[in-house]
Amino acid sequence: MRDRARGCLLGLAIGDAMGAPAENLTAEQIAARWGTVTGFLTDRPSGTDDTEYAAFSALLLLDHGARLTSEHVADAWITHLAGQSGGFSGAGFSELGTIENLRAGLRPPASGRHLHSWSDGLAMRAAVHGVYAAGDPLLAARLATVDGAVSHDGEGVHAGVAVAAAVAVAMTGNASAAEVGAAALAAVPADSWTARSLRSALVHAGDVPALLDAVVVRSYPWTDLAPEAVALAFGAFLAAGGGFADAVTGAVSMGRDADTTAAIAGALAGALGGLDAVPARWREQIGPVTGRCLGEVVAGLHPLDLADRLADHLEDE
Amino acid sequence: MRERQDLIAGALLGLAIGDAAGWPSARHRAALLPPWTRRLHRELDAFAETEQVTSLPVPFALNQPTAPLRLGPSDDAEWVAWTLTWLGAASKPLTRGDVHERWRTAATNGTLPRGRISVAAAADALRRDVDPPVTGHDNPHHFDDAAAVRAVAAGLVADGSGTAATLAGWDAEVTNAGDGVSAARAVAATIARLVRGEPLATAWAAAAAEHVPPDTLLADNLARAQVATAGVTTAADAVPLLDEPAGHVYSYGVAAAQTLPVAVALALAAERGGEPPIAAVTAAACLPTLADSAPPLTGALAGAAHGLSALPTTWAERCRRLAGCCAPDLAGLDLVELAGSIEERTIL
Repeated sequence: MRDRARGCLLGLAIGDAMGAPAENLTAEQIAARWGTVTGFLTDRPSGTDDTEYAAFSALLLLDHGARLTSEHVADAWITHLAGQSGGFSGAGFSELGTIENLRAGLRPPASGRHLHSWSDGLAMRAAVHGVYAAGDPLLAARLATVDGAVSHDGEGVHAGVAVAAAVAVAMTGNASAAEVGAAALAAVPADSWTARSLRSALVHAGDVPALLDAVVVRSYPWTDLAPEAVALAFGAFLAAGGGFADAVTGAVSMGRDADTTAAIAGALAGALGGLDAVPARWREQIGPVTGRCLGEVVAGLHPLDLADRLADHLEDE
Repeated sequence: MRERQDLIAGALLGLAIGDAAGWPSARHRAALLPPWTRRLHRELDAFAETEQVTSLPVPFALNQPTAPLRLGPSDDAEWVAWTLTWLGAASKPLTRGDVHERWRTAATNGTLPRGRISVAAAADALRRDVDPPVTGHDNPHHFDDAAAVRAVAAGLVADGSGTAATLAGWDAEVTNAGDGVSAARAVAATIARLVRGEPLATAWAAAAAEHVPPDTLLADNLARAQVATAGVTTAADAVPLLDEPAGHVYSYGVAAAQTLPVAVALALAAERGGEPPIAAVTAAACLPTLADSAPPLTGALAGAAHGLSALPTTWAERCRRLAGCCAPDLAGLDLVELAGSIEERTIL
């Protein structure tokens, strides 16, 4: 269990760092600049908000376990994030919208009701809920919902729940990639944008142009829509049959919110295959979190250490 | 009956005046000029950034006709007129299917006016054979006020406030969901009540109670704007108090949960102080973030409450004709004449 937890969090960090240079680019631009993606795109890859917010959510789980409430999460955001001055490097609309709401005195779920409640900001951090709730997708879904109510609403929460539940199933070690995808779909309302988008991912996995055409809204200029991001992440994961390297590079090569989609794909594949599935040359590139986005609260934390601590209670049981 | 006609024309002209008063109007109307003028505009914007000068470019004609850049209405007035046109042409009574079919036809035959992101995303989905309400729900800007603006049309043609809300809801669900639909229903019901002579405060309160669900961003922001401006008796005084609810995080200021609360708060503030509609409208144009659609929504509410006769002639004369910057077929359409042609619609 510890091995798959490590694979998951390291996979998330690798996807984040590998996808970062490709964020907001198109598949064509990525192909033109780097050719076929086979690994990190820069010599000194670095994680971004995805890894840092996942680490932050992991700390909340370590403090409160399954008794985590949205009030705990809101208090932690206020203590560690809302007091920061200046901007939030690497954060998206949903994070600053949440912080503005918390500063104005709103509490969850009102704090998550802003104009980007459907961003992929919960989906990018929800893998940790699946690690903590390994084998229990319902618990993973509940914990992601509790965490997400502070910063998201509607589709933003659904997408996070999909990732958490899928990771919880992948963590069992005896699920197929298709079963992991099915777990994501089963965790969200059938009549939701996220469900429709995930179904597109199941249908079009392996056919990149068809997948992009089905889930990308062309008249919208940003790339942070949660239904789109999880569809691209699961599309890459399924096309790779759950294989780690192909899942991550596949997500990166599609562009859009590439750091987040690759982080999710990496978390899924890492949970499914464990640490051994992660190429050693990529593992070595991942160090402790810098805290560039969230500051001291996460600076110095290593994904592998967080994974071990999240898995501690699993070994005990 | 004469009074009803005056109130209907007041709603339309109030909306057009607000549409004209906001700074984005000139940018929308600049679409009537050749693309190179807008490209030069973007280059001048970059020039100001590189050269660190504070002279910011404004839409300009250079050697082209200047008429498009004169003060006048743009996208919102054209969308309401477009909606009124097809509602007026429809065989009555209208069904939900009729409304959705009208959209599909316009999206597939290329006659849909240029519109917001919610509209463009819905049109794209319609062309892929996706049906409403999924076209409005799986939509990145499902929360915007495109439908709330169009809902003024439903409020003017419907045979009562309930019908108005239902009709506006059918139209809204094509492009919007959640707050975007609730706002449309509330606007339509309010307008229907206003043109039947109800005072603004009670018309809005009744419509909001019925159509704005609690525990939504729209409901929260309506309450916030109301609390912030409760002690204010002029629209101008209320402006700085509404900057916070306007929000500055996101890149577009057209969420129904932003613009409608500001429009309602300003219209009510002017009402409390006995100010004319134009005071509320010009105040709404002072919040740059929301200047695209808060002023027209404010103008529709205040105009429907007091009628064309309460609007300044200087403004009404300047704003009564459409430019066709979003709906080319409507260029030159006279809104006062359009108001006079409105007939009641029933629904099935």
